[in-house]
Amino acid sequence: MFKKASLVRVIGLCLFIVALGTAFGVSAQEQVTISFWHHYNAQSPENETLNKVLIPAFEKQYPHIKVKAVPHEWDQLHKKILVSTSSNQLPDVARADIAWVPEFQKLNILVPLNQEMEDFHTVAEGLLEGPMATARVKGDYYGLALNTNTKILFYNKALFDRAGVSVPKTLDEFFMAARKLSKKTGRPIWGYAEPALAGWNICPFIWSNGGEITDPEYKVASGYLNSAQNVEIIQKLADLYRDGAMTGFSQGAIPLTDGYAQGRYGMILEGPWKFAELEVSYPQFNPVTAPMPAGKGGSVQVLGGEDIVMFKTAQKEAAWAFMRFMTSEYAQVEMAKVGQLPVNKKALESSVVRDNKNMLPFLEAIKTARPRPPVSTWPEIDKELTYAVTLSILGEKPVQESLEEAAKKIDLLLSRQ
Amino acid sequence: MAQNYLTMPGVTEKKKIKINYPLIFLLLPGLMVFLLFTIYPIVKLLIMSFFDWQLGLEQKSVFVGFKNYLQVITDPICRKAIANTFVYALVTVPSQIVLGLCVAVLIHSTKRGKITFRVLYYLPVITSWVIAALVFKYIFNNEGFLNYLLCDLLQLTENYIPWLDRPATGLFVAELLGIWKGIGWNMVVFLAALQGVPVELYEAASIDGSGKIKQFFYITLPSIKNTILFALVMLSIGAFNVFTSIQLMTGGHPAHQTEVALTWMYYKAFAARDFGYAAAFSYILAMIITLITMMLFKYFPNDHTRRIEKLT
Amino acid sequence: MKTAKKYKLLVYLILIFGVVITSTPMLYLISTSLRPNGSLYEYPPKLWPDKLTFENYRYVLFKVDFYRSFLNSLFVAITTVLLAAFIASSLAFCLARFDFPGKNLLFAAIMATMIIPGMTLIIPQFELAVTFKLVNKLGGLIPFYIAWVIPFSTFMIKGYIEGIPADFDEAIYMDGGNAFTVYRTIILPLASPSIAAVSIFNFLTVWEEYPWALTVLNDLEKRTLPITISGFFGQHNFTLWGYVFAMSVISLLPVIICFLFFQKYFISGLSSGAINH
Repeated sequence: MFKKASLVRVIGLCLFIVALGTAFGVSAQEQVTISFWHHYNAQSPENETLNKVLIPAFEKQYPHIKVKAVPHEWDQLHKKILVSTSSNQLPDVARADIAWVPEFQKLNILVPLNQEMEDFHTVAEGLLEGPMATARVKGDYYGLALNTNTKILFYNKALFDRAGVSVPKTLDEFFMAARKLSKKTGRPIWGYAEPALAGWNICPFIWSNGGEITDPEYKVASGYLNSAQNVEIIQKLADLYRDGAMTGFSQGAIPLTDGYAQGRYGMILEGPWKFAELEVSYPQFNPVTAPMPAGKGGSVQVLGGEDIVMFKTAQKEAAWAFMRFMTSEYAQVEMAKVGQLPVNKKALESSVVRDNKNMLPFLEAIKTARPRPPVSTWPEIDKELTYAVTLSILGEKPVQESLEEAAKKIDLLLSRQ
Repeated sequence: MAQNYLTMPGVTEKKKIKINYPLIFLLLPGLMVFLLFTIYPIVKLLIMSFFDWQLGLEQKSVFVGFKNYLQVITDPICRKAIANTFVYALVTVPSQIVLGLCVAVLIHSTKRGKITFRVLYYLPVITSWVIAALVFKYIFNNEGFLNYLLCDLLQLTENYIPWLDRPATGLFVAELLGIWKGIGWNMVVFLAALQGVPVELYEAASIDGSGKIKQFFYITLPSIKNTILFALVMLSIGAFNVFTSIQLMTGGHPAHQTEVALTWMYYKAFAARDFGYAAAFSYILAMIITLITMMLFKYFPNDHTRRIEKLT
Repeated sequence: MKTAKKYKLLVYLILIFGVVITSTPMLYLISTSLRPNGSLYEYPPKLWPDKLTFENYRYVLFKVDFYRSFLNSLFVAITTVLLAAFIASSLAFCLARFDFPGKNLLFAAIMATMIIPGMTLIIPQFELAVTFKLVNKLGGLIPFYIAWVIPFSTFMIKGYIEGIPADFDEAIYMDGGNAFTVYRTIILPLASPSIAAVSIFNFLTVWEEYPWALTVLNDLEKRTLPITISGFFGQHNFTLWGYVFAMSVISLLPVIICFLFFQKYFISGLSSGAINH
């Protein structure tokens, strides 16, 4: 008898606990976990800041949200998002290269933030207009600017002094300097090294020379890409390559950082990350920078950077809270400490940014930098552009001819948007 | 009673069975995995090859008939990629077989150190493609060890050879890697075959006074003919599936000049997002490989025709 | 007698020369893993560095969660190899010893799938993985890997089983055994050299598989070795090669051990198998 009674009591207690638990569950906010895919290199200080500083701070501020940050390699992140798209396996939030945003929007996987988030405009107002524009597609905003960057000229001072060359201010001086710095006998030295021939690498030359890739509405490339200025500037690069004064994009070339620090490359055009990379591998080397040499079109570099975007399958409340946090002054200043150029206006005023002599030339360059055409087919257009420019620079095909062919193919891609 | 449900085993006297539960139990796991994870995706791929396949939420894929196939056939880069693959196969397959056979014959003739040599020659095979490609890229860099050796130390060439920058030499390095990595596999396969050659044949030949070289051509080669055919088929399939080494060493650069079949397919699928094209290309490629395999079986001098019937 | 000795010496010289050529890249791999990160493009390039450092190994082993990827890969590879050995050998047994409707079609299909390049199967296979809730699960890799290695394994083991006299089977049937008994008591033990040989190939295939693992796995703690190694390739053409090569050397060890362990079965497993008939 006693046994039976105690059994009833135990069951009763269990039920009570379950009921209590349920009651608390309802009253407390529901625990959510959001996943955040990014391409901060897994070994980078940025990743360290994200995992050790920012996410703990965020989770303290929002105790009911857990953030699972997943690093991917840059182009793998792009592929992974594409593949995941086909089966609804997307993360909640991602740090996306600004060049991908129109493409993802076309895939219909991004949330139009200005329509769905009430406080979107107050958040957006705190961020720089230029980078924010990269998240705008057809009038709607599909992300928040997260960080920005562009490239400037890094030059090897020792090589310049030895060759008696002064730092080039114009494109003409740049080509001249590249030739003077080069040495073909013995262990060769190249005046200028460019790691690839994609839009990211070629656009600055085209724009600075007063050329364009497409018309201002991004409807057509014929008549723009194959213009006389573009043929002229690509030809100059081709001549530079022919004369053994340019390298870097070929498979066998010395990697950029090593070539630059070891005095084999006179000039490179690179972003703010180069400082950190040089610090790791060549702590004794002292990099010196200058603005992108100006041409007929001024000194125009390409605008890089990332947006933070939310996918349609996301848990929107939590995702938006995290996006606001990542673009807040606090998070942006923390990331600035490890070399990310902030887009938060208040963070830009902070001493961390203002006193950073490595950051200032980039902040200056961003004022004149331009984004690549914000069209959904850009990754494919970029491939066609690379193909044409590679053929031209290797001298396999006349510049005029290859640019004309590329323009026709790009016309088609532009019409497919 | 159970025996009624069993077929009598044996190669010569196979009988039809009605229900054999143990047999079904043995057959089912393999069959299920094979049908579900291999056959279903292959059928799906066939369907994809007739569509302008779109990724994305609420995206409609449009049926385009044979358009993808037409695109593949008329694409000049695709033709270049297939031509490169043929060159790769023509260079690597015979070299691997000849070198692998040489090593096997030499090792077979030794008394001591057989296992040591076997392991040492097999090491490249068990090195992953990624690692091997990285090391080769490193050695064949413009500033790499080989150029230093050829140009600065031995002074054979005046300037550094840009191995990886030019299409022909870039492919050549990939072919070299393929051969380097393949010798061990061929060695093992041929060593196995050599063990099956009756010793009496050699003894008889020695008594007749014929030399080692003559013995090789008149006894060894004919005896291992079927193994050579097996290696030819497997290596040809392997050569058409070359991917990692090219992807990592030349990446198809410059301007798609060193693209091979699979790198081009990968590019079309994941860089250009043209899955329909990639799917159609897979099928065209599979047809090419099937044709080659069938031709090998048909024209390879072979008196045991049994194998052919089994495979085709 | 003298010429025979000379001939022997020549054989050894040629073999040693071949070993030197084929092992140079391996030597280079090891030496690179032992030099500091900045000195990879030094001049003159050296096959063996002046100053050896274990810094790369220390970093890889103790500063990052490399060991977890290592264990993940080990788990996936061993599970796949074991399961594939049973599945492929039983399938091979059925194909070698029995007649059943659709048998020729099945064998032809198995052979044909060795020909279709697996790369583009990723999209339909990914949809399958989603349907079966296998995405971002380490175990989710295994059924696909098994499906990949089954054709070649079945083909090789079938050839070997065909070389085993059927008299053994008949004795078992006489004693009242069934197909399963034959598989367990005759085929598995007698075909084990062939299964071992095939397992080495399978282990290597799974151990170095990259595109599929990359597609299916997301979380850091679930990644396999090739994904982790490729994570050391930076975005801006910047790679810390010392770490990459140190990880590569470590990742080679299990394969080498696996090979050394099974290598005595290797030749015999292949010799009376498919390749000789």
